[in-house]
Amino acid sequence: MSNKKHNGPRLSGEMTKQVKLIPGYILIGIWVLFTFVLLGWVVCASLSTTKEIFKGEVGSFPSGLHFENYGKAWSSQNVSQIFMNSLVYSIVSCALLIVICAPCAYVLSRFKFIGNKSIQSGFVAAMGVPVAMIVLPLFCLIAQMNLVDNGIKNRLVLIFLYIGINVPYTTIFLLNFFANLSKSFEEAAEIDGCPPMRIFWKIMFPMAQPGIITVTIFNFINVWNEYFLSLIFANHDALRPVAVGLYSMISSMKYTGDWSGMFAAVVIVFLPTFILYITLSEKIIAGVTAGGVKG
Amino acid sequence: MQKKNRGMIIAFLTPALFFFVMTFVYPIIRTAIMSFYKIDNVTASMDQWSFTGLSNYMKLLTTPVFKTAMLNLLKIWLIGGLIVMSLALLFAVILTSGIKGKKFFRAVIYLPNIVSAVALAVMWQQYVFSNKFGLFKPIADALGFQWLDAGHKFMSLLIAYCFGMVGYHMLIFLSGIESIDTQYYEASTIDGASKPRQFRYITLPLLKGCFKTNITMWTITSAGFFLWSQLFSSVTTDTAVITPLVYLYMQTFGSGNTVTERNAGIGAAIGMLLAFFVVMVFLITNRLFKNDDLEL
Repeated sequence: MSNKKHNGPRLSGEMTKQVKLIPGYILIGIWVLFTFVLLGWVVCASLSTTKEIFKGEVGSFPSGLHFENYGKAWSSQNVSQIFMNSLVYSIVSCALLIVICAPCAYVLSRFKFIGNKSIQSGFVAAMGVPVAMIVLPLFCLIAQMNLVDNGIKNRLVLIFLYIGINVPYTTIFLLNFFANLSKSFEEAAEIDGCPPMRIFWKIMFPMAQPGIITVTIFNFINVWNEYFLSLIFANHDALRPVAVGLYSMISSMKYTGDWSGMFAAVVIVFLPTFILYITLSEKIIAGVTAGGVKG
Repeated sequence: MQKKNRGMIIAFLTPALFFFVMTFVYPIIRTAIMSFYKIDNVTASMDQWSFTGLSNYMKLLTTPVFKTAMLNLLKIWLIGGLIVMSLALLFAVILTSGIKGKKFFRAVIYLPNIVSAVALAVMWQQYVFSNKFGLFKPIADALGFQWLDAGHKFMSLLIAYCFGMVGYHMLIFLSGIESIDTQYYEASTIDGASKPRQFRYITLPLLKGCFKTNITMWTITSAGFFLWSQLFSSVTTDTAVITPLVYLYMQTFGSGNTVTERNAGIGAAIGMLLAFFVVMVFLITNRLFKNDDLEL
C-alpha cells in the first residue's frame, strides 16, 4: 500500500526486484507468445489460400488477404447454420437457466426447511458426476418418447439437456451470491406487506444482477462449446451446434481440401466466446474462483 | 413465517428439482442398475433385461481395448495432472511475485479455456504438430519422429490438452495465494527466511484447499475425456488415444469395429467405473489434505 509513496528513494530497490524477476518474465512471456502465435496463425491461415498454407507462407500473404474465405465458409459450408443453431441453443438455455435456478437458489439460501441441505449437497455432488453415468438412461428415455423424430422436438431436447446439466452449477453459484446479499431490504418490504414472491422478483432478483451476469457468461461458454451430448442427441446435420458441426466439417475437409475455408470456420466458431472474453475477462476471471466449488 | 412461505418455497424449488431429477437422479440410479444386467439395446424396456451380476464388470476388465482405455485415462490423469498442476502453480507464483502486466498475462493464460476445444484441437493438429509446416516440426525432425504418428500421438495429445487446462487451475492457485495474509511473509522475511523456504513453509501449506479443489476438478474433467481423443483418432478404433468414454460411445452408439457384442449394460458399467474413480480420488484427496478448518 505504501509502496507508491516511497517510489523515489526506493527506485533502485524496485529495479533490483524486477531484475530478479526476469526468469519469471521469460517463462510467462514464452507461454503467452505461444498462445498468440497459435491463435494468430489460425487467423492468418484463414485469410490465406490453401496453397499458401501448404507452402508455409502463412503470415506473409503473397496474394493479399482473402476475406472471401469467410464468405465461402459461412454460406457454403453450413457454418451459418451451425452458428445460428448454437446461438439459439445458448441464448434460450441461458435465459431459462436463470429463470429456473435463481428462485431455487434464493429459497435455498434464505429459508430453513427439511431437505434444504440435502438438495444443496445433491447439486454439489452432481457437478462431479461423469457424463458417462447419465447418458444411457437419457438416451433411452428420449428415444422411447420419440423426441428426436422431428426438428423442433429434437431442438427442445437439446435445450432441455443443456439446461439440465447446468442446473447444479448455476444454482450453487447463485446460492452463494444470494447468501451474501443483505436481508434488510426483504425485511423492510415484508413489513410493508409485500408478498414474498413479489419481494424476490422485484427486489432480490434485480439485486442479484452481477451474479446472474457472471453465471450466464459461463453458461453461455459451456453451452456454446458443449460436445458430447450434442454429438449423441443432435439427430440431423441441420440441428448440430458449432462444436459437433465443426468436427464433422473437419472430418470431411480432409477430403475436400479447402483448408483455408476450414480455418475460417474455426475462427468463426471461436469468435463469439473470444469477443465475450475480451470484453469481460475481468468478470470471467473473478467468476472462476467465485464459482462455489469448495472442498 | 414458515407456513406463509411454504407455497413460495415449493413453487421456486420445483422447476430446478424437476430438471435435476430428470438429468441426474433418475439417470444415475438407472445406470447403476443397468450395469448389473445384460441389455441388448439401450432402448430396451426393463422386462427385457437379464440379470448377470458382476459379469459386465468382469467382461470389461478382461477386454484388452478397455484396459488400454483405462490405462490411457490414468496416464492422462497422472502425467497430465502433474504437468498441469506444476505449471499452474509455477505461473501463479510468478504472477504474484510482483511482475508487471499481471492482469494481462493472467487473461491470456486463461484464454484457451474459453475457446471451443474442437477449434483448439484443430489448431494443434493442423498447425503445431503438422509434418508439413508445423511450429513444432523442427523439434520432431531433430529427434527423428513425427508428432502424430502412432507411437507419439498420445504424447502430442497430452501436450495439447495440458496447454488448454493450465489456465483454469492457475486461477484457483492464484486466488489462493492472493488470499494469504502478507504479514506472514513480512514476518518471515524479518526472521531471515529465504523465498524458497517461504514458499515451502507458508505458501504450500496454506494452499491445501486449492490443491483439493484443483485435484477434484482435474479428476472430473479427466473422467469426461472424450473430444480430444476423438479428434486425435484417425480411425474409429485408434487405441493409441482411446479413453473409457470413447469406448462407451463406440460400444453403445458408434459403428466401431471393436464392438463384439451389443450390450448397454457394459456401457453402464463403464459409467460406474468412472464414477468410482472420481469418488475414490475425492476421498483420498480429502484424506491427504485434511481440512484444518483453514478457510481461504
